[in-house]
Amino acid sequence: MTYDVGGNERRAIDSMPQTCSKEVCYACVRQKRLTSAGNLHFRRMSQIDNAKVAFAFLRPACVLLTREQSIQNVQQLNAQLREVSDLALQQLQEYVLFPLRFVLKTPGSKRENLIQAVVEGIEYVLSNTCVHSWDLLQELFSELCLCLSSPGKPGKPASVSEDLKAAVIQSLDALLHAAYGDIALQLYKPVMLPGLGAAISLLLALAEEEKSRKVQAAALKCLLILLLQCDCKEPHLWVGQEESCALATAFACFLPGITQVLTRVITGDMKQGHAVTVKAIKVWYRTVGLVMADEQLSNADSSEASAADLGKVGELLVKRTQTWVKETSEKVAILLKRITSCVSVHQHWKVRLEMVNLSENLLSTCQKSLKQCISNLLEVLVGKLNDENSAVRDKCSAALEAIALRNQTGDNHTFNDILSENLHSLATSLPRLMRISDDQHKLFILNVFLGYLKVLGPKVAMVLNSAAHLQRISKALMQVLELDITDVRIVEERSSSSLEHTGLGPHELYTQKKHFVYFTDANIFSSLQQICRFLGYYGNLYLLVDHFMDLYRESSVYRKQCALVLNEIISGAAGVGLVAKHKYGPVSKDDLKAAVMSIIEEYTSLNNWHLPTNSVESDRDEDSHFSHLRILSITNSVQENHNQLLPAKKSSTVHQMNSNIWQICIQLEGIGCFAVALGVDFRLLLMTTLYPVLEKAGDETLLISHSALCSLWDICRACGYSSLKELINMNSDYLLNDISLNLQRLSLHPHAPRVLAVMFYHSDASLLPLVGDVVQDVLTALDLSYDERAPVFCAVLHSLVKALVRWFPAKLGEKKYSAPAGARCEDPLDVRQFLLDYHKLRCQAEGLLEDEGDTGDIEKPSTVPDSDEDLEDPDKKPELPSHITMAKDVLERCIHLLSDPSLRLRLKVLDVLELCVCVLQSHEDVLLPLVHRCWPALLQRLTNDDPLAVLWAIKVLCTLGETCGDFLRKRVSQEVLPRLTGSLLKQAPLSAKAGPIYAHTLAFKLQLAVLEGLGTLCLRLDLADSDLDLVSEACLPYLSCRQPARLQEACLSVFRHLIKVDPDAVWFMLNELYCPRSYEPPHSDLHAVRLAGMGRPKNEYTDNILRLLAEIH
Amino acid sequence: MARPPPTPLFVLRGSGAPINTLHFSCQEPSSALLFSGSGKGAIHVWNLHTRRAERVLEGHGGSSIVWVNTIGSKETLISQARDKRLCTWNLSEGRSDVTQSIFTGSVGFCQGSVMEMHPQRWLLAYPAEDMEELVELPSGVPVCSLKPDAKLGMLMCVKLWQPDGGCGPMLLAGYEDGSLALWDVAQRQILSRLTTHPEPLLCLDFDPVGLRGVSGSAERAVSSWVLDGQQNLQLRDTVELVNPGISQLRLRMDRRILASAGWDHRIRLFSWKKLKPLAVLQYHTDTALCVTFSDHKDSRLGLMAAGSKDQRISIWSVYNDS
Repeated sequence: MTYDVGGNERRAIDSMPQTCSKEVCYACVRQKRLTSAGNLHFRRMSQIDNAKVAFAFLRPACVLLTREQSIQNVQQLNAQLREVSDLALQQLQEYVLFPLRFVLKTPGSKRENLIQAVVEGIEYVLSNTCVHSWDLLQELFSELCLCLSSPGKPGKPASVSEDLKAAVIQSLDALLHAAYGDIALQLYKPVMLPGLGAAISLLLALAEEEKSRKVQAAALKCLLILLLQCDCKEPHLWVGQEESCALATAFACFLPGITQVLTRVITGDMKQGHAVTVKAIKVWYRTVGLVMADEQLSNADSSEASAADLGKVGELLVKRTQTWVKETSEKVAILLKRITSCVSVHQHWKVRLEMVNLSENLLSTCQKSLKQCISNLLEVLVGKLNDENSAVRDKCSAALEAIALRNQTGDNHTFNDILSENLHSLATSLPRLMRISDDQHKLFILNVFLGYLKVLGPKVAMVLNSAAHLQRISKALMQVLELDITDVRIVEERSSSSLEHTGLGPHELYTQKKHFVYFTDANIFSSLQQICRFLGYYGNLYLLVDHFMDLYRESSVYRKQCALVLNEIISGAAGVGLVAKHKYGPVSKDDLKAAVMSIIEEYTSLNNWHLPTNSVESDRDEDSHFSHLRILSITNSVQENHNQLLPAKKSSTVHQMNSNIWQICIQLEGIGCFAVALGVDFRLLLMTTLYPVLEKAGDETLLISHSALCSLWDICRACGYSSLKELINMNSDYLLNDISLNLQRLSLHPHAPRVLAVMFYHSDASLLPLVGDVVQDVLTALDLSYDERAPVFCAVLHSLVKALVRWFPAKLGEKKYSAPAGARCEDPLDVRQFLLDYHKLRCQAEGLLEDEGDTGDIEKPSTVPDSDEDLEDPDKKPELPSHITMAKDVLERCIHLLSDPSLRLRLKVLDVLELCVCVLQSHEDVLLPLVHRCWPALLQRLTNDDPLAVLWAIKVLCTLGETCGDFLRKRVSQEVLPRLTGSLLKQAPLSAKAGPIYAHTLAFKLQLAVLEGLGTLCLRLDLADSDLDLVSEACLPYLSCRQPARLQEACLSVFRHLIKVDPDAVWFMLNELYCPRSYEPPHSDLHAVRLAGMGRPKNEYTDNILRLLAEIH
Repeated sequence: MARPPPTPLFVLRGSGAPINTLHFSCQEPSSALLFSGSGKGAIHVWNLHTRRAERVLEGHGGSSIVWVNTIGSKETLISQARDKRLCTWNLSEGRSDVTQSIFTGSVGFCQGSVMEMHPQRWLLAYPAEDMEELVELPSGVPVCSLKPDAKLGMLMCVKLWQPDGGCGPMLLAGYEDGSLALWDVAQRQILSRLTTHPEPLLCLDFDPVGLRGVSGSAERAVSSWVLDGQQNLQLRDTVELVNPGISQLRLRMDRRILASAGWDHRIRLFSWKKLKPLAVLQYHTDTALCVTFSDHKDSRLGLMAAGSKDQRISIWSVYNDS
């Protein structure tokens, strides 16, 4: 045995069987690798290359092992084997294997680890060499199988250790990999069927029953190799058509066993680890794919005729006839269904990926033979189309595309028919499935649904043309999307004020989470959204919108769901939020706009927009509004059903109202969606939609106002406005249009004033020219219905005047300090002002002196600019700026409203009054007559009203004092102060004696209000000496420590204010009551200072007086 | 039960002055426009789709616009104001140029009248100091002046029309003394005269097919008159109104509806056949100064606009369903 390397190679190539020279057989490839490795010195340098040397090296160990079968000897041999290079080992293959096989063959029981060592040895040899001889292959195969099977029952696995099993399977693996191409194929000859069958059933049993995952996986892998479809990296035998036919014929016998056992494995324990499941699936579909392959079955008859002369073995052989195929495919379909139902929602993505492979493989190879399975397989693919794992998704969509392509080129109808059929049946069972299955399964089902839509693509439109399909799908969506509206909080949560909320930014808002009856997972909802969007994207928009609008009108039960679906359909039609595979020409803008307009019209129609959402809302206007609605719904529509009349009832249940709230919310969201869908084109629709949305933004129900705000922001973004302010400002003309029209139909549209208020809040002075006539409308409407609508209109007027104050900041500087109080100059900041004022006063004084001579001259120049107007109409006064006129008109109304019976309204009116005064302060000639007119009413508020109103009125009076000054001072000192101080003096002894409960009485609150207001009043009105005396006298009793603490505090605040006006007088007065120190005259000639309070003992006033005196110094 | 009177379809705001005159240009529904002339000399071009003023034309130095009209397309505009001028504007491609300016010499409130004589040639009648002037547009060539011999007072309103049967254009003119005159433009003479009102005649409209017309004045009635075969004007019936004063009378293009703008802030609708009062539209809060119907080709889209001293233009959709 003295071959050189080159010779060896030649020999090896020469010895190859004929088939191998034609085909690439995996053993040949390994052979080549062996030789090339020798040439290129890739082998380890320490290994023995020379076969002769190797023989000499290995021989002792082999001999020893034959003589004495001990584990040491085996291990010795195994170790030595590793010293020999692959080439040398190839030549010594049979020699080396002999002692190892001898150990296995020797009868009698052996220790397991001995066998294991032997098997490992065999495995090493096999994995590094090729098996050329059929006999060797066959013998080894059966010997190894024998190792696995239990001695008593062949076909059952022996109860040996896991390691041994693993080792045996490993070496089987190695053996099959090492086998030369054509001898490997001999394994599948009919004669070999029993042996092969035994091996397969052993492996299956291992795969099914073994506890160790490693063994399970190895057994499954081994099965794959038996199928000649191993997926490991080793080069493998390429199987031609003829060979694969033989292979398939062999495996046809085992198909039932393999598929059943593996199905059990696959559907077995979910915890068995994904690797086993993946392998089992692979073996399953490879087997089925091999045996049921369409191309084999078509020429099956010819190839299997020769099976007759095989004797007993021939009976085992299965003939793949038409009937066999039919029966088998039925069984396979059952198994497949079990597999898919179990594994489709498997947690591990690799399993799902393998399922995709399964579907793809079977759909491509066995479409004809496995007709019954096609829909199931498609369902698997479609269901994975929206898998969370991208690898699965990609694989899936690629597979589907390939299938779609293949089917479109061939008989394409069946494919689409199956898809639409599946869609139909899925839609039918959807509601049921949504009720009974768990969230994960629901999600899967919906993904399947979505997948069908995606695969059908533009053909969805065709499917939807069938009324049956559309009906099914819409019914399913309606039932699935049923909202859970039992939450009581929905009705109860109130928003405090519309205006505050509209100031929120977009980030502070969140979309309301909807609660559905049949599911809780948010993913399920988003999946449903996607479904609707794809319907809109691919379907016929008009058909869909018409259909769902009909449904919307038809019954109030489905109305919310319909709205939800419509919203998504429009989004989808515009391609918003879609990841569509096909680039599909979206619906034309005009069509979209038309659809949106019709939907919005329906949404915002009276019956669907002004739903009762609040039972407590017993305002008269609401009442009359609903009664009006009721009449409307009776007279207007004959087909109006019972349900729609129900909301008009006052006693609607919480349930009903929740439902209404949600409906409005969904509709609002819809408008937002439409805006996003239309983009800038939505601007044109603002003239009809902005008003209703704003109306809802001011709604009292939190949920609604939030939704409205969200959709306002959507509109903002869609139309390219940067803020709500800009949105409202730029479209104020549209809003005003609706407002002014609706103000004339207040019974129908009671919220117009509210919208106007929102507008004022957001707009600026540029609005004024537009708003003028609307304000007139408001005032007219107010005049016409004082009693009913005063609260609403007052709110509007309040916001108007507030806006006016903001838009026209008054030039306070000139007037405010025109009559500076002497005490104020103590403030360092005011020194400059003091000097300026002083200068001004002097100038005035001088000017006055000059004026006395000729007053006429001065006035003439001022009229020059207006000469144009004056010439035309000399009697007319110069036209007032519009904001002044407005404020004047508002103030006039306030005079009447000041004595309204409702306290809330009175307070509001006082606020309005104060703001009006602020606006008007620059126009004294307008202001003063008005103040004169409202004085009596205001006086009532000051002296004869609820404490709260008194406080408010004092606040107003302070503002008035600042703006009107002298005009008011006399009235205050004559009419207001005596009454206030009188009541204070009268109450003082009572409160001094009262207990803690007194703090809850009206009298106490009144005292407190007056005390809290008096100080500022004195300061702001610049009251003079006698008035100050009056005030301080009235307040003195309250310095007593016997008074309630809060009154004392309030009283202290009065004195603090008085100190600012006239510190000396206050000092004197306090000292008269109690003087803490004595004043020594600096010189004896001077009179000693005598103060009444001097030397008095501590009394009830001491504490407070000391505090005040400390502040004066 | 009679339906409640409708509310305006929408209201155009922002002119900032009384609306003296209105004119629709809706031949192409996709770009329907409304021109309005204000008391402060501004002509607003309103886009009826966006409901906003597309542009504002200022060309009369702030003096009150009396009349606006278009000739041919919406790109040529005529405006007449109390600065004694009549301007034609070129508005094509975003321009706003005054192409012609005619001195009228009239400071009255009489609006002009325009009529298409031949394709691309129009005849324009406008009031001059104490007569009517006629010019041809767009050339601007004077055609003739019609000066009444009798003392009829100031010219108050005119209406040009083309009778069937080949005669030359006719002109109806209303005068301060409440009389109505039918002028034959070619012969420059009055064919017929009729005193319809004791007060100055403020407005008139004429149906050249039915040869019937109406006129209004400061009193409480609308008079209707016919033109008989001998070209004689004859008084027919009068419709009594609740409140006095009619600013404008307009007949819809389909000759079915007549609208009046009243000093009582109201727009009244009458059937043209019998002058039966149909509806009183109440929206404005001051004298309604003008009313006009749109020239939509599709009558279902038809609109009516009314302008008022309260600075608003109300747009209505009335009696379009039939």
